[in-house]
Amino acid sequence: MTERSQAARLSGSGRRIGRTWIFPAAVLGVYGMLYLMSPHKTGLALKACARVGLSLAVPLAFVVVVLFLLNLVVRPSHVSRLLGERAGAKAIALSVVAGILSVGPIYAWYPLLKDLKEHGAADGPMAVFLYNRAVKPFLLPVMIGYFGWPYVVVLTSLMILGSMVLGQGMQVLARKH
Amino acid sequence: MNIAISCEGADLTSAVSRRFGVARYFLIIDSEGGALSVAENPGVTAQRGAGVQAVALLLGRDVRVLLAGSCSPGIRRQLEINGVEVVTGRTGTAEDVLQQYKRDRMASGSGGQTARRRLSMVLSCDNLYEAARRSWKQLLSMLPIMLGVVLLVGLFRGFVSGTLLKTVFSGRVGPDTFWGACAGSILAGNPLNSYIIGGEFLDQGLSLFAVTAFMLAWVTVGLIQLPAEIAALGRRFALWRNAACFLLAFPIAIATVLILAVLNGGPA
Repeated sequence: MTERSQAARLSGSGRRIGRTWIFPAAVLGVYGMLYLMSPHKTGLALKACARVGLSLAVPLAFVVVVLFLLNLVVRPSHVSRLLGERAGAKAIALSVVAGILSVGPIYAWYPLLKDLKEHGAADGPMAVFLYNRAVKPFLLPVMIGYFGWPYVVVLTSLMILGSMVLGQGMQVLARKH
Repeated sequence: MNIAISCEGADLTSAVSRRFGVARYFLIIDSEGGALSVAENPGVTAQRGAGVQAVALLLGRDVRVLLAGSCSPGIRRQLEINGVEVVTGRTGTAEDVLQQYKRDRMASGSGGQTARRRLSMVLSCDNLYEAARRSWKQLLSMLPIMLGVVLLVGLFRGFVSGTLLKTVFSGRVGPDTFWGACAGSILAGNPLNSYIIGGEFLDQGLSLFAVTAFMLAWVTVGLIQLPAEIAALGRRFALWRNAACFLLAFPIAIATVLILAVLNGGPA
């Protein structure tokens, strides 16, 4: 990774937070309009919201704890180091770990991935990294709350396995072109 | 492991720089292979942010240990929270300082002591504060969209009937998985929100095939962020990757549900 992308990461990226409130505000606006047309149904919708919100409270508390513990031991620079390998089975395996440990929106990771690609990183590990961003240990409490342990274990294992297949496939395609 | 020494010159006979941020060069030594590389400090001529540029350079070069004359508390903190051991108060030539560090490390380098040193680094006040700050920021960045999704789920329950969904999701494995993957590909975002929506879909009677394909495509396929991915990683890579992830959602979703059915001893 180049110094440019590291400096960009160090300078922080908290500017997007304010804009993300537009979405819930817009949905609340829709509630307001629907209330004028159908107060009863809107009331039912709000009650359903409260039920979903309450059911999320406990898993979210676990999310905070796991997130804190992960942040205590994992840094973005650790993820960058894991992605440093250029190709091969080791690179694929390290990309799995890097993808799982990475946090934050994907847009924040594109500059780093672009840098790595410009410095010779292969397509396979990149694709594996992006796929494994779907596996988030700190969100597992919520997933388990909704779908249960067996489902989460089976799906997560198959996703990791699938990401490796994807990585190999992307390598083959890259070699052909 | 890469060791960096802040220096006044570009070789091992040079004197160690008194201040980290304004050192003219960094000598970066691979402690296992012994390879030496020299990096000019980009911050030495900077009006502001000299230390930050130097930190970025060292992290970019995968440095794990910094040997320097002195280092400001802010820079030390930045390096340590990124897993770099900072050793200050060093004077003399780079060669002397490196050998001294190696001797110190050998003298105190039993496995237990190293582990204790790492543990104390992880549990330092700075690190605890930084972890709490990051967690708070990450939670804060997830909350608005999650709140919006919860509100949408409420609207869905209040105004959309389950029968409407069943006109699209008929209960057949193939089409359900396909439409689930299509819906997940168009939408995108934090996996958390896909769990909430997926849970709601299950409550509305959709099959687990459709819900699993939906959640898989939600995070692995991103039509909305496709332009950004193309700009960063190239058109060929982005298109192939998204297409492959879309196709991969089918076997993974079907295999997940079938394995679960086998585990539960019942039909899918």
